[in-house]
Amino acid sequence: MSALRLVARSALRSRPLAAPWRGSSRGYADVPSDKIRLNLTLPHLTVYQDVDVVQVNLPATTGDLGVLANHVPTVEQLRPGVVDVVEESGSTKHFFVSGGFAVVQPGSLLSINAIEAHPIEDFSADAVRAQLAEAQKNATSGSEIDQVEAKIELEVLEALASVAK
Amino acid sequence: MSFLRTGVRPVVQAAKATSYRSKVPANTYATLREIESRLKSIKNIEKITNTMKIVASTKLSRAQRAMFESRAYGETSDEIFKKAETAASSEGNKLIIVSSSDKGLCGGIHSQISKAVRAKLALEPEADLVILGDKAKIQLARTYASNIVLSFNQVGKEIPTFAEAQTVADQIFKLGKTYDSIEIFYNKFKSGISFEPTSVPAYTEESLKSSPNFSAYDIEEDLAQDLTEFALANAIYWALAEGHACEQSARRSAMDNASKNAGDMIGKYSILYNRTRQAVITNELVDIITGASSLQ
Repeated sequence: MSALRLVARSALRSRPLAAPWRGSSRGYADVPSDKIRLNLTLPHLTVYQDVDVVQVNLPATTGDLGVLANHVPTVEQLRPGVVDVVEESGSTKHFFVSGGFAVVQPGSLLSINAIEAHPIEDFSADAVRAQLAEAQKNATSGSEIDQVEAKIELEVLEALASVAK
Repeated sequence: MSFLRTGVRPVVQAAKATSYRSKVPANTYATLREIESRLKSIKNIEKITNTMKIVASTKLSRAQRAMFESRAYGETSDEIFKKAETAASSEGNKLIIVSSSDKGLCGGIHSQISKAVRAKLALEPEADLVILGDKAKIQLARTYASNIVLSFNQVGKEIPTFAEAQTVADQIFKLGKTYDSIEIFYNKFKSGISFEPTSVPAYTEESLKSSPNFSAYDIEEDLAQDLTEFALANAIYWALAEGHACEQSARRSAMDNASKNAGDMIGKYSILYNRTRQAVITNELVDIITGASSLQ
């Protein structure tokens, strides 16, 4: 997982595996026991819909975590960072996510609602730097609302700056 | 018999007055001008409604794509509430959010959703109303003006963005009132020609925490509130996107019908115009010939 960009305060945590949840069947095929079914949706675009993947690494506010099959049902809020998806084929896709929520449902289903998510290849480091300078200026001037918004923008951009090439 | 005749005459005169108006207009030159101007204005209307229909069709295809994405997004957001088997509470403060828009000429969209909301308000007269869109506000303000706590306009011009839904959710929370159950009314897109006013619940923190399966989830203390706030914004976005698609499709059928009706009227009036024109010419000819023959 060298591709995973760790921000200073995070450490990769692994959760204990729980027994598979045999809840009421919802009519779709059961998830194979070594995969986790991923729904990664944005308001304007669905990135993954009911796709079985091997592992998903999430940048949560409580720290980074890797989600494998049969993970304990959890609710996590996402901070701006990179989500890695290790697909069945073995390739890993990296998406920069601005924020949202990730819920591991019983039955090995991971539901992620993110506001924005783009492959990190799509970002240009120059544009990020220019926006960072702009946001830093706004963070110290303007009304309180503007300053708070600029600080949030800074948080996203700083996380982005560390991954954009 | 004289009194009978005096009694009868006014009625007959009144009848004559109305029947004069409903007869085909007398074949005069002035009436020909009237028919011509009516015909021109109906032709203009037909062009306008045709253009609106085409614009609505293009907007519909984009709106439908946005709607499908928003459905996937909203359903993903709803998943935890389904799995936890959250149920909306039936007592306490109720909030009804109505998703509509500002523009008309879209068939029964606004009146149907207002009807559904009114039916709900008849059962819960104390519920608070948040209305998105002027059209629904006008309809609901007639009878339930005191229930309206927030209303938004400039809704429905473009495909809704998540930022709009977030703003609405934010303003609701800024009101500072804790609601025990929230319901969002919107028009559900069933097909290109039909829609249905529907309501979905948006769950609150308490409902989530008291759900039967909530203990299955490993969740930090304060995250439940953030999650339900986020889920409310997601649900509002989904309702807005679906309502927008329904509106474009309803507008397209309404403008299609209007163009067809205008086309029919154009046909009818063209025939009338030609007949009138020929009658005017014939009358002039008769006048000329009568005049000429009387000189002989």
